[in-house]
Amino acid sequence: MEIVVLVKAVPEGEARLRPDVTGTEVDPEGVRFVLAGYDESAVEEALLLKEANPGSSVHAISLGPAARAEEVLRATLALGADRATAVEAPEGISHDPLLVARALALAVGRGPCDLLLLGKQSSDSQSGVLPALLGALLGRPDLAPVVGLRFDAAAGRFEARISGEAGETTVAAPAPIVVGLQQAANDPRTAKLPMILRSRKAPIGRIPKAEVEAALAAAGGRRAVAPTAFRLPPPRTGARLIDYTTPEEAAEKLVRILGEEAKVLP
Amino acid sequence: MPDFSLTEEDRSLQDLARKFAKGDMAPHAAECDRAGRFPEEIYRKAFELGLMNLNVPTEYGGSGLTLLQQCVIVEELAHACAGMTTSIIANCLALEPILLGGSEEQKRAILTPFCGSYHLASFCLTEPAGGSDAGAIATRARPDGDSYVLSGEKCFITNGPHASLYTVFASVDPALKHRGIAAFVVPRGTPGVVPGREEEKMGHRASSTSTVRFEEARIPKGNRLGAEGDGFSIAMRTLDQTRTPIGALATGIAQAAIDHAAAYSLKRQTFGKPIAEHQAIQFKLADMAMKVAASRLLTWQSAWTIDRGERGTLESSMAKCFASDSAMRVADEAIQIFGGYGYMKDYPVEKLLRDAKLAQIYEGANEIQRIVIAKQLLKAYE
Repeated sequence: MEIVVLVKAVPEGEARLRPDVTGTEVDPEGVRFVLAGYDESAVEEALLLKEANPGSSVHAISLGPAARAEEVLRATLALGADRATAVEAPEGISHDPLLVARALALAVGRGPCDLLLLGKQSSDSQSGVLPALLGALLGRPDLAPVVGLRFDAAAGRFEARISGEAGETTVAAPAPIVVGLQQAANDPRTAKLPMILRSRKAPIGRIPKAEVEAALAAAGGRRAVAPTAFRLPPPRTGARLIDYTTPEEAAEKLVRILGEEAKVLP
Repeated sequence: MPDFSLTEEDRSLQDLARKFAKGDMAPHAAECDRAGRFPEEIYRKAFELGLMNLNVPTEYGGSGLTLLQQCVIVEELAHACAGMTTSIIANCLALEPILLGGSEEQKRAILTPFCGSYHLASFCLTEPAGGSDAGAIATRARPDGDSYVLSGEKCFITNGPHASLYTVFASVDPALKHRGIAAFVVPRGTPGVVPGREEEKMGHRASSTSTVRFEEARIPKGNRLGAEGDGFSIAMRTLDQTRTPIGALATGIAQAAIDHAAAYSLKRQTFGKPIAEHQAIQFKLADMAMKVAASRLLTWQSAWTIDRGERGTLESSMAKCFASDSAMRVADEAIQIFGGYGYMKDYPVEKLLRDAKLAQIYEGANEIQRIVIAKQLLKAYE
């Protein structure tokens, strides 16, 4: 089975973000970019499927500024992906999901792909529409948010568990399909040191910006969505510390506040 | 021009170590410290991730890292728990004599199976009557036919009760003093090898320390590393290699002390404002930060020197001595910033002081480092 997994570089969870000089984007200066959490789950699922289906291979693709894409691809290779392709993003397309999907579909379409795996959304922009857009562009069924995936080799079809508000549904679909993975669908592994060292020397395929731009132009894709402002969330307020000397006093005060001020107790 | 930046490869190793330190070590540090528990499951995972036999070349199944890369990893691990780090890097110390003094055949025969699965090794140099005075070793190795018979006692041996392999320094002829010392590889299963009980320590309580006694332990001559009189030189050259990571370990402890103290100083209020806004606290934090930065630079410079193929005796002595003395001061100041809470075991900083103390003592007491530094210094003026 040929598995393609899409990975995105997003700011590290602990990064201190701030707007750049234009005020429309995150300033990347001093920010480390890492594999997005949902994509980590997608990579893990790809590797589990590869291990369960001998002869399979995992091809990782990342769209973004070249250096950033290369770093998350090396991290993915260190986890166990077999090969990697960096798709160099034309300026400013990252806020336009349709253009992002077209650029990724271009890369996916260049090789074999029985299963296209990605996080159900990215952990930074969180549009959550890429699985559906890619399904439409590639003419394949798309399933999301998937919490478990199995391949029935004899029948040539996938069984996916999809979690929703009402419960969990299991569906079957013949290859090839697109799957958007829920985070925490599995327990992503940690890359081992020898694999990290090997990944540093691995070749990474490239699709240069010019090719992506040409493909987007051919599809009639004009940049439609552009960011106009970036703000950090306002600092949280409303937390309140209770002054007390004994636990009894603390409980008494808390009950009074919950009842009289917050009105959550009768 | 010197280049102080880490390569992307170094940074990816740092990421791995940081992830393991935060996710697997830190959550258990306080509990292991309190109970004096040796968390073997954590050491196994360190091995599985490739974080254990860092200095052993890949051809023998190790990780084959540069000394700078080892230091980057050790600092991250020690940030979470210096005691666990000591047990994790004890293999590097114990296996270095084999790398330095072993024949190609010995390296293949010993290191390859050892590094192939989870094993611990112990470096057995120190004795009850002498640590720094390594030339005065009393453990005897009596030649007898095709073998040596070892008798004597080693003490303060890291991982002693858990090791499957010991590198042991013993005198073949006490009259020759340090020229009579030989280095041996002793498998745990050898009859007469008797690890003692676990010592109760002030710090590094997740690590295990014991005596190891050799009671007429017979080992084949093929287990000797180098020639009969090479032992002292092997021991000293080993410590030249492994001293620098102790600088990194101390830097990790000190960095943890700053991280705790700075975060606390922003939260803790006195006289109507966070204590971080009081100049007394700011000066402390600034002094701590300078000490940590200087420790890291000396450590990296030493690693860089040794990675270039130089012996680095002076550089590694400076790094180890300065970083461990600094870690003591920085941990001390962190406790002061925490005030009464810092003295309580519910807070993480008092452990840092207890852990830092050992870094001034082991792998060559800081007094020895100063003698080495002064000797090297004076050579230039003779």
